[in-house]
Amino acid sequence: MTGRSGDVPPDEYVEAEIQSMLAEDPSVAEQGITVVRRERGLVLYGEVESPHRREEILRRVAERFPDTPVTSDIGVIRTQAPTQVEELP
Amino acid sequence: MVIRIAAVGDVHLDEDVVGRFRPALEELPDCADVLLLAGDLTRHGTEAEARCVAQEFGDLGVPVITVLGNHDHQCDQVPQVVKVLSDAGITVLEGTGTVLECAGGRLGVAGVKGFGGGFAGRCASDFGEPEMKAFVRTTRESADALAAALLSLECDSLVALTHYSPVPDTLAGEPPEIYPFLGCYQLGQAIDSAPTALALHGHAHHGTERGTTPGGVRVRNVAHPVIKQAYSVFHLGDQVD
Repeated sequence: MTGRSGDVPPDEYVEAEIQSMLAEDPSVAEQGITVVRRERGLVLYGEVESPHRREEILRRVAERFPDTPVTSDIGVIRTQAPTQVEELP
Repeated sequence: MVIRIAAVGDVHLDEDVVGRFRPALEELPDCADVLLLAGDLTRHGTEAEARCVAQEFGDLGVPVITVLGNHDHQCDQVPQVVKVLSDAGITVLEGTGTVLECAGGRLGVAGVKGFGGGFAGRCASDFGEPEMKAFVRTTRESADALAAALLSLECDSLVALTHYSPVPDTLAGEPPEIYPFLGCYQLGQAIDSAPTALALHGHAHHGTERGTTPGGVRVRNVAHPVIKQAYSVFHLGDQVD
């Protein structure tokens, strides 16, 4: 988990704005990130395709909402070959 | 005899991802007869991103068949995206189908992007404002195209490939409030109108892998964040574990 501290607890509108920004901001374009409001701020979780995309999400959110405490739990999806197959008779 | 199908969706390629899938993809000729891609190949649907897809998923030694997803429509460059993919030997389906001769038999794949709309009892209706009617008509036209494509194929095993989900089962994990944006029952109805053996889709990143249509057709959500590996492999055939 990585975190960043701020002063203002987020309200529902901030949560909605961040969710929209994640999808609509061309430098992010992520629909698979969930924004959850906690007592001390927002938690972003989900998975992206590269570490660069995770960093870009946090950068853009911090830039647009500098006073909102945000914690990230965003992972990078693994791309290993499968070790098992599913038999479908 | 078995037909071996590899599948993944929602890979969202751009320059920062090129090369990540390739080591696993190099193993495909040993473990699969075909690779099916369930849409959202790119982030914004640009020609440049399509070239990244072509680089990553071209020349794999197995046929590659895809549908596009909503992300692939974002920049309104669908014809350019389709051309780049086609030039790389990737077959792009949209209300169309294709038949492959595999060692285990003839595999028919019918594909469509699909659309939202919702599921039985919790869905949009073709009624009211023009915008709502246009939304639901898009849903219906897409499902009708899938049904026609499925029924047109002469093959031994039939697979439906979509981006949007045909059932709510594989959306479990997503907020129920957004199900109407993730799929529609009409796609399931289309799948059940033909002798479909397997339906594959993506789009629902927080969904789950397995489900079935009301008619009993097996449905798999192969979105990359769901399967958490480069691709899944399915053996369609007669054998039992």
